[in-house]
Amino acid sequence: MRSKTFWLLVAMLVASLALVAAGCGGDDEGDDAAGTEATTGEEGGSEAAEQVITVNWGTEPPSLDPGLASDVTSANILLNIMDPLVKLDEDLNPVPNAAESVETSKDGRTVTFTLRDDLKWTNGDNVTAQDFEYAWKRTVSPELGADYAYQFYGIVGAQDYNGCDPKKDKCAALADKMGVNAVDDKTLEVKLTTPQPWFAQQVAHHSFLAVNKKAVDQFGDKWTEAANIVTNGPFTLERWEHSSAIDIVKDPDWRGAADVKLTRVNGRMIEDGTTAVQAFEAGEVDVLQEGLPPDEIARLKETPEYDQYPGLGTEYFAFNVKNIPDVKQRRAMSLAIDRRSIIDNITQADEIPANGFTPEGMPGFDAINPKSSWAPENADMEQAKQLMGEVANPVTDITIYINDDPGHREKAVAIQASWQELGIDSTIKQQEFQQYLEFLGPPPNNDVDVFRLGWIGDFVDAINFLELWTCESGNNNTNYCNKEYDAAIEEARMTADNDARYELYGKAEKIAWGENGDLPLIPLYWVTYANLEKESVKDSWNTNLLDQIDLTKVVVTE
Amino acid sequence: MAKFIVRRIFWTIPVLLVVIFLTFMMMRQIGGNPFRQSERAVPEAVQRNLEEKFHVNDPWYLQYAHYVKGVFTFDLGPSLVVRGRDVNDIVRTHFPKSIELGVYAFLFALVIGVPLGMIAALRHNTWVDYSAMFFSNVFHAVPSFLVATLLIYFVALKAGWFPTSGWTTWEHKILPSVALGFGPMALFARLVRGTMLETLQQDYVRTARAKGLRYRRVVGLHVLRNSLIPVVTAAGPLLGFIITGSFVIELIFNIPGIGQSYIDSVSNRDFSVVMGLTVLLSGIVIVANLVVDILYGILDPRTRDARG
Repeated sequence: MRSKTFWLLVAMLVASLALVAAGCGGDDEGDDAAGTEATTGEEGGSEAAEQVITVNWGTEPPSLDPGLASDVTSANILLNIMDPLVKLDEDLNPVPNAAESVETSKDGRTVTFTLRDDLKWTNGDNVTAQDFEYAWKRTVSPELGADYAYQFYGIVGAQDYNGCDPKKDKCAALADKMGVNAVDDKTLEVKLTTPQPWFAQQVAHHSFLAVNKKAVDQFGDKWTEAANIVTNGPFTLERWEHSSAIDIVKDPDWRGAADVKLTRVNGRMIEDGTTAVQAFEAGEVDVLQEGLPPDEIARLKETPEYDQYPGLGTEYFAFNVKNIPDVKQRRAMSLAIDRRSIIDNITQADEIPANGFTPEGMPGFDAINPKSSWAPENADMEQAKQLMGEVANPVTDITIYINDDPGHREKAVAIQASWQELGIDSTIKQQEFQQYLEFLGPPPNNDVDVFRLGWIGDFVDAINFLELWTCESGNNNTNYCNKEYDAAIEEARMTADNDARYELYGKAEKIAWGENGDLPLIPLYWVTYANLEKESVKDSWNTNLLDQIDLTKVVVTE
Repeated sequence: MAKFIVRRIFWTIPVLLVVIFLTFMMMRQIGGNPFRQSERAVPEAVQRNLEEKFHVNDPWYLQYAHYVKGVFTFDLGPSLVVRGRDVNDIVRTHFPKSIELGVYAFLFALVIGVPLGMIAALRHNTWVDYSAMFFSNVFHAVPSFLVATLLIYFVALKAGWFPTSGWTTWEHKILPSVALGFGPMALFARLVRGTMLETLQQDYVRTARAKGLRYRRVVGLHVLRNSLIPVVTAAGPLLGFIITGSFVIELIFNIPGIGQSYIDSVSNRDFSVVMGLTVLLSGIVIVANLVVDILYGILDPRTRDARG
């Protein structure tokens, strides 16, 4: 009896502990397996027989409706299952894609897209100019309530139609007045409110994709489900299991299918950074598209799978200029920050120290960048202290607001320490993102002296960054208002010539960050995106400055 | 008895109404804007269109009445953030996965925990008892996320026996179920040990032994059956707790269960999803308590009058 119980107990302990115990025992074996796997991908090797990869996109795409999507993940899936009018090359120049040609009239206010002949929807219909007209008007319509409707505000009548109140106005009439018109099946004519040379680049954004009216009419807001969706791009949506998997496969009938190597891209949505890295290290995922945990970057950077890309985005700490009114103090506070040290020790992803607001890589950057001496790469504590000494009524007790996403507190603490040396005592207050946004206004809550935010560009023109700091901008949480700055931006808006416009952007940058600049905010760094990519795809997996990945260019090598 | 049950079911309705009301009021207080999910400010016209579309500008009592009507007709409304999906969709897609995880974890806890407790009791005050209790005390004290992290590191990453995350094949389901089940397993083991020790002291056990019944039969027939009653009572609410309390495990293993949706909906201020899931989860707790109350009523007739 006694021995039987003993053996029962042993069996049970073994059963429940088997996983843990044997897990430790199998340690070496596991390492070996991982080792052989890692060496299978050779750089510059020949094309692998199986062109299938698994990508972690990091989150569930909130929407695959081009009108409603407003995030990077949705955009990256959409831009690969749909066929944009133009694409952006690596230097962000527009390249005709579904549009055979793009012509701009002499006054710069009419842009005409001529579609290719071989565009097909997956339901067999031809893709026509009417599909684009329908999609754009649908996005602007008040009924859809799309966040990105404002992307269309540069088109004649779009803002009026979007702001139309169905109870009072005749919305249909306003829709007809909107300046997008399918002249025939192949010709799409767009009338702009002002000359907007960046418009051709802007239509590379996913908001400007065509939508199949039949699918929308038939399935309503469920038209984007895998079973219902009608697409026209190089890949088709095979499976979309919400919050779990999104798989796209090559469409053999697509016009350029011969040049597309990947036959299948399995998408996963692992939100937690640590879990995602583990999945990558276990070989379950070939690419981690961003989302690396900040505290692991230093370790991951040493692995051959680490890759990073510059992004079109600026990280900054801004002032509530009402609370810190003396420009000398603001300059001193900016001088005291050691951008290099923050990048090397905290963010660690080789971000670029920012000496202006418009990020590097933006067309016209050399003319626009003010090379602000107030935003040095290494802190200039001596000059900062001297300037601080000249401040008549220094504000020495301030509150820094940050949101509670990972990595921000460390930056704020480093900045706090620098300001301590100037005799400024600061308190860091952290808020959950939604509360934070509400707190910042505009106008910001009175308690806010300094706050952190970042800006990621939507389209490729400095206007997208610089218009933030105009007096009436809905994104200007600084209380900063300089009519001269506004005038420069307004003039730039009306200037079609690129060089002349870049000059005006440069003028605005100088007003804010130049030698006599107002320093409404402290540019910290221009962002980078960090990925993990298996060596078998690392060569061909490239995201551009807008964080877009063109899957038609990706090849798996042996 | 039927009257008692009907009365208890009837009483769940006001409880649910209060839950809806409190959640509704709290959601209105925390602020935030479901229509703005990034630094990018939403133009006024767009904001107005959205508020109009989702009726979030109606007076609060209209919204509340509308919502209550929705709940009782099983229509939890559309998501404000994940456009094109409604709360019913979200529940239908994600809730079964949470239930599945909860049930597996529960089964693991039961199958390992109950025999472990039995053996500890039968070998009372021997090394067998001590090690079993040490084992279960440790797992009762160690939080499930730590167990999960250790399992992922050693069993999935180092040994490569199981995938690190996901919820598709049976291999994906083992580690999360084990991680979530360890705590309740330890609880069961301690519970069974305690009640069994008590039962073993009973006169009828001695009588059974005295009349010459074989030891195995005494334990199997008399001791075990009587010791399991408290376990059954504890099991009901525990199952409910496991199903609703697996958020962290879902996050670590990237399981598309209801937990992830719940957390996302709160941080995105997706009010209708928060409401819907709160109502659903409180519904589960209410039902679990209802079942326990009814069971008590059946097992012990005295509680029917006293508690009803």
